Amino acid sequence: MNDRTNGEHAVPPEQPDPGHGAAGPRGPGCGSGTRGAGADAASGHDPVPPAAVAPRSPGPDGSPGIFDKNLLDRCISCGFCLPACPTYALTGEETSSPRGRITLMRALETGQLPPDDPTLAEESSFCLGCRACETVCPAGVEYGSLLEQWRDHQWSGRDRPWIARLLMLLVSRPALLRLQGLVRRHARGGPGGRAGRPAAEPAAEPAAAPDQPVSLMLGCVERGLYPKVSRAVRELCPEVAVPSGQGCCGALHAHNGDSVTGAAMARALGEKLPGTVLTTAGGCAAHLAHHLGRDRVRELSEYLGEAGYAPAGQVTVDGRRARATLQDSCHLRNGLGVSRPPRELIAAVADYVELPGADRCCGAAGTYAMLRPEDSRAVLDPKLDDIGRLDVDYVVTVNPGCLRQVQQGLRRRRSRARAIHLAEFLALAGRPGRPSDGLPGPGEG
Amino acid sequence: MATDTGLARDLAALVGPGHVRTDAGALTAYGRDATPLFHALPQAVVLPGSTEEVAAVLRYATEHRVPVVPRGAGSNLCAATVPLTGGIVLVLTRLNKILEVSSEELLARVQTGVSTAALADAAAARGLLYAPDPGSRTVSTVGGNVATCAGGLRGLKYGVTRNYVLGLEAVLPTGEIIRTGGRLWKDVAGYDLTRLLTGSEGTLAVITEAIVALLPAPEESGTGVAYFDSLADASRAVADVISAGIVPATLEFLDRKCIAAVEEFAGLGLRQDAGALLLFGDDGAPPTVAANLARIQEVCADAGALETTLAEDVARADALLAARRCSLPALSRLGSLTILEDATVPRHRQAEMVDRIDEIAARHDLLIATFGHAGDGNLHPTCVLDPEDTEGADRAHRAFAEIFAAAIAMDGTITGEHGVGAAKLPYLADKIGADQMALLRRVKTAFDPAGILNPGKLGS
Repeated sequence: MNDRTNGEHAVPPEQPDPGHGAAGPRGPGCGSGTRGAGADAASGHDPVPPAAVAPRSPGPDGSPGIFDKNLLDRCISCGFCLPACPTYALTGEETSSPRGRITLMRALETGQLPPDDPTLAEESSFCLGCRACETVCPAGVEYGSLLEQWRDHQWSGRDRPWIARLLMLLVSRPALLRLQGLVRRHARGGPGGRAGRPAAEPAAEPAAAPDQPVSLMLGCVERGLYPKVSRAVRELCPEVAVPSGQGCCGALHAHNGDSVTGAAMARALGEKLPGTVLTTAGGCAAHLAHHLGRDRVRELSEYLGEAGYAPAGQVTVDGRRARATLQDSCHLRNGLGVSRPPRELIAAVADYVELPGADRCCGAAGTYAMLRPEDSRAVLDPKLDDIGRLDVDYVVTVNPGCLRQVQQGLRRRRSRARAIHLAEFLALAGRPGRPSDGLPGPGEG
Repeated sequence: MATDTGLARDLAALVGPGHVRTDAGALTAYGRDATPLFHALPQAVVLPGSTEEVAAVLRYATEHRVPVVPRGAGSNLCAATVPLTGGIVLVLTRLNKILEVSSEELLARVQTGVSTAALADAAAARGLLYAPDPGSRTVSTVGGNVATCAGGLRGLKYGVTRNYVLGLEAVLPTGEIIRTGGRLWKDVAGYDLTRLLTGSEGTLAVITEAIVALLPAPEESGTGVAYFDSLADASRAVADVISAGIVPATLEFLDRKCIAAVEEFAGLGLRQDAGALLLFGDDGAPPTVAANLARIQEVCADAGALETTLAEDVARADALLAARRCSLPALSRLGSLTILEDATVPRHRQAEMVDRIDEIAARHDLLIATFGHAGDGNLHPTCVLDPEDTEGADRAHRAFAEIFAAAIAMDGTITGEHGVGAAKLPYLADKIGADQMALLRRVKTAFDPAGILNPGKLGS
């Protein structure tokens, strides 16, 4: 079977990507919801440990306790965040800037704006949650955590977009995940496609945590949408275990107004995956790191970098070394501060070209591309222009949502460049005798 | 005054319905700028797309006696763009075109919603320098810079925004479009309205276009850091540098608290055990830059510096300057009610002023960190408080009143680069006197007979 047709075309385009949105890896005291355990029971997934974050309670001044006050107070409205914000770039309006949104959050918290204010609803949804604002904020505002708290409140109950509700239900139910697994059984690789089979003898101890096993997180969406990614990881890192019965990490929930469930799911997954959790999705990595601790989580590029990955060969196109660029995952870069490792890995197997604005969101942003397709495209369009000017063979991504977004954009533009996940890209170099020549034509891959 | 719905409908007819907002969320978001403790709700937010639309809105506002507050990115620190008496917030961010950059005439012509950094980048792309360099350059607009006469990190050698404004296009509150100055360095025809509008804080006219002077980009620039035991020591070193006949491009200092805050954000490896640091930099011909930086290092060492080092490359130098630019927001990590002030004294009295600020802070039991443009005598004493501490805020206001009085007593001023706005209007008469205040009001009336433009600010 042609590798390329496996999973990239056969999957409905409306598959979710929970691995991209807003999560907060930094600092304690963030990321809880106003609702209690009832939300967990209703979601119907495996029993999970109680959320480690206490629900916020009304403040002594009678404020509703929607936000963690210390987080909200951090912003001094200097406006340094404005140039970094993709939605502010689209509108030029204060309301769609991080500073303006924090002003709105404050108004919600103090009751100056009612909870059903339409601008509050619109802006909580318009924000991509890319957290680019955090990287330029000298005051250290944890915007991603504030956004989660805002959405917990704004999108509770019936106000949550139905697509988000559907996806959250889907990834919360092990049965549905298993069904997804059956459909995509071949994704896991190996005889019979049985997950949970420990890998063969580790080829090398990972430098990151020599005494710890390393467990590959398959990613509920990536497994369905891009099964080749985890298969490529197994080729690159045979030492990695792939435990069975993995659930969703909960990033989707956290980014869509249910951070209590999101936190609980992260912890539950942490218990199922022993040792270091290796992920191939920047969004999942940031969410898991926030709840399991930074030390326990490694995104693929970090892991390979620390393990001293050496490529078996190089990626070639028409007999020459491929030209490749990287689109950052917002959460990997802005949330976890990882930007060099994937670039170094690409440069090891191909001619690396920096994409101007690689650090700016591609517009995928988890469920965003489905909830707000027009805005999502408006964010993506200038990036596609930039990619066109680069004249590259590959646009490498490190998150399934970004992969899908860039892939669809390039297809629309009939670009000759191909979007590919880092794991697959490295695997192209690591499989001598399987030429990477013969790029897909327009409309393919 | 028109009703709010009537106002929205009328404004929509002037600028298009997509560019008028009267929803409560937008009114809230545009009800403040970067100044703490100042908020007020406008009745409408309008984002015009051309000078003619600005004129139409102002004509309408004068006719209907609706206050208008012009606004760029809202990054000012003197409440210059808070709509104290409601009305219209006139947002100029859609006027964001760089119309021209001329290497031949050494000037640029821009719409005033362009960010300062975008102008500087466009100039740099032609090998030119736009010299004004405010800390907020990535976000602040050229119009806002002109309106407040913004300063910045290169002030010592290059001056402030007004030194670079050659000409302006501006709309009077009554709707007339005027062009002041022009494209010439030498142009003395008539009253210098260009200078009058520069720093007028949106009280006389709405600036829609600016022609600014550029310089040939310096061939080379360099930056270094010197650490001292105390801010007073650093201040004395500054005096020695100037006395040695060197006018560096940059001479900035941070006290211990600022160093810690900046370090936490930027992670530059700054020494945490020092009481103060002096960031120095120069630009120009390579031999001159090297010689000046070496001489500054010597002078600092003689003045008792604990250590001096030069940035090894441009990236490091840029990082140091960027860290300095973010001192204010970084300081807010210490306490999120951060009141930054802008007192300026003659350079030779800077050390005295620093001591005075420390004394006032101690007496009022306040945490006041100080950083600033050392070479200019432009100090930014910054009080950091818990937002809940209203009593502390009262003490801070009393302390700053004393700090301003001290600055004036030393032949200094109440603002060196941020402007007066609403925040410092109560102190303006102390600085300029009653007669000049009265003249300001007459000037204001000449431009704005209906008094609609940015009420509660200059000329009020």
